[in-house]
Amino acid sequence: MTHVFRNSTAELLFGNAGYSFSGYDEIVYSGNADSFIWFYTVPFHADTQSVATEISSYAERLKFVHSQIPATSLLIVFTLYRLFDFKAESMDFSVESSIDCFNSFVLEFAKTNSNVRVVDFSDFCSRYAMADLIDWKFYFLSQAAINPKLSIAFRKWFELKKSSFSKPAKKCLVLDLDNTLWGGILGEDRPEHLKIGGDYPGKAFLLFQQQILELQKRGIILAVCSKNNEADVWEFIDNSRDQVLKKEHIAAWRINWNDKAGNIAELAKELNIGLDSMVFLDDQPTERELVKSMLPEVTVPDFPTAPYLLPVFFKNLQGQYFNIYQASAEDLRKTEQYKQNAERRQLQQQFTNIDDFIKSLQIETTIRLNDPVDLPRIAQMSQKTNQFNLTGKRYTDLELKEIIERNGKVFSLSVKDKFGDSGLTGAAVVSLTGDDAHIENFFLSCRILGRKIENTFVEQILLGLKEEFVENVTAAYNKTPKNQLVENFYESMGFSVINRDELKKSYVYCLKKDNV
Amino acid sequence: MSKSEQLLRIFKDVLETPDIDASVSQENCEAWDSIHHLNLIVAIEGAFNISLEPEEMEQMRDFTTALKIVEGK
Repeated sequence: MTHVFRNSTAELLFGNAGYSFSGYDEIVYSGNADSFIWFYTVPFHADTQSVATEISSYAERLKFVHSQIPATSLLIVFTLYRLFDFKAESMDFSVESSIDCFNSFVLEFAKTNSNVRVVDFSDFCSRYAMADLIDWKFYFLSQAAINPKLSIAFRKWFELKKSSFSKPAKKCLVLDLDNTLWGGILGEDRPEHLKIGGDYPGKAFLLFQQQILELQKRGIILAVCSKNNEADVWEFIDNSRDQVLKKEHIAAWRINWNDKAGNIAELAKELNIGLDSMVFLDDQPTERELVKSMLPEVTVPDFPTAPYLLPVFFKNLQGQYFNIYQASAEDLRKTEQYKQNAERRQLQQQFTNIDDFIKSLQIETTIRLNDPVDLPRIAQMSQKTNQFNLTGKRYTDLELKEIIERNGKVFSLSVKDKFGDSGLTGAAVVSLTGDDAHIENFFLSCRILGRKIENTFVEQILLGLKEEFVENVTAAYNKTPKNQLVENFYESMGFSVINRDELKKSYVYCLKKDNV
Repeated sequence: MSKSEQLLRIFKDVLETPDIDASVSQENCEAWDSIHHLNLIVAIEGAFNISLEPEEMEQMRDFTTALKIVEGK
């Protein structure tokens, strides 16, 4: 049940299923909802000064609301939006200032309170004209500030916003080049005639590339799949003054004359990500059809038929597949890391023996226990990691916090080698009961596989638990569509199988008679 | 489908009570509270592409009156 703190009728917008509602302006709460929403709308009153004063009290009220709910319960706060303009003189900005003030407060508040998430209400409201946004009839009859006819659109929008908090986002954008990133065809038109920058349509492609680059900066992997001569493409991109997306932004590419479905499958393998985490953009309907039918897991949206449609197309693409609530420092360095991996793979070919190779990498691992700074990144990893994920159990940072509060252990693993810092790339969530420990889940980013780091990590965890006087460690493997890779992982680490069926196995490791 | 049948379907959907008939009213139907009343109005306005006056919204306390209002538009 989600409890909504509100100052106007919100039942019609949210619906009744799963929600309870405060009285208007009521901030005291004693029920047992598991999550909360702050949904205040700017009061409808002609005296702007009194509205401004009212709004300036919301920050204190919000703090009070927050102080009453458990620190591990989610509180979603809607920003304020000026629904109706009551001002009697044009230079009266008192309401606007108080709204800005509250909204800035909310952003700061969310930064210092990990259970608070912000939803930008203007993103919804600004889609509608004032006349559609408010139906005064419903306001006068029932205090509904927002037109109840928008409730279906509102719920859809709100679901998408909420999904940005946790849902595994798509990881990779695979891009065609000709008539997708620039106008014209490199193999046919002279490079100086390609449309990028300058007048329309080059201007539209330029903005599109800028939008894509902002996603790349936030950890979305860019790949290129294009039918061209590779050397020509890089020559053009390197020498173009207007090209925004450069080679350094592209993590992997297939620029050749092979079929695109095969190329995309290879890209997935090279980047070590699932096909279902890829979105493919191509202006050619036949290429899109081919990829759709050969690789149904890949998302293939229709591409706009005219370049001036690109900004809105991109906005929708982002909202649907690349909804990022807040990028982490790790996200900002993703492409670099994926590229370093490609270099490591090249080095690997020079060594005939895997152990020599591993030695040459000069790997350094760091393991931390119950470090609050790591929790958001661990939660994010648990949402996104599919292959090296023993039970498939996903966590939010609040759930991890709770586990620690219940005496659990959350181990995190950071890895560094001579090519660079991979950052936090693995975690184990362990619950403790008496002398027994249970590994709820164990997951690693696929970026670091193939270097036996997972073995070291398990050994360190067992050692850590032994120091806590744990006697038996239990663990489980739950089969998911993607984690076959780790089916026999615990066996290889010396755990004994105590129970198995087709979908799961459980294990035990006795620390007492062991000397890890 | 006649207007009467269409309207009754809306009532059943919105009030989430499939076993009601044309005799339904705010008096005899527990689900018909103030929030469902507003949801009914939103659904009726949308389905028949009409706009109800606040006075009509107040009067609409049973199915028969609702039908009369819809047919009068």
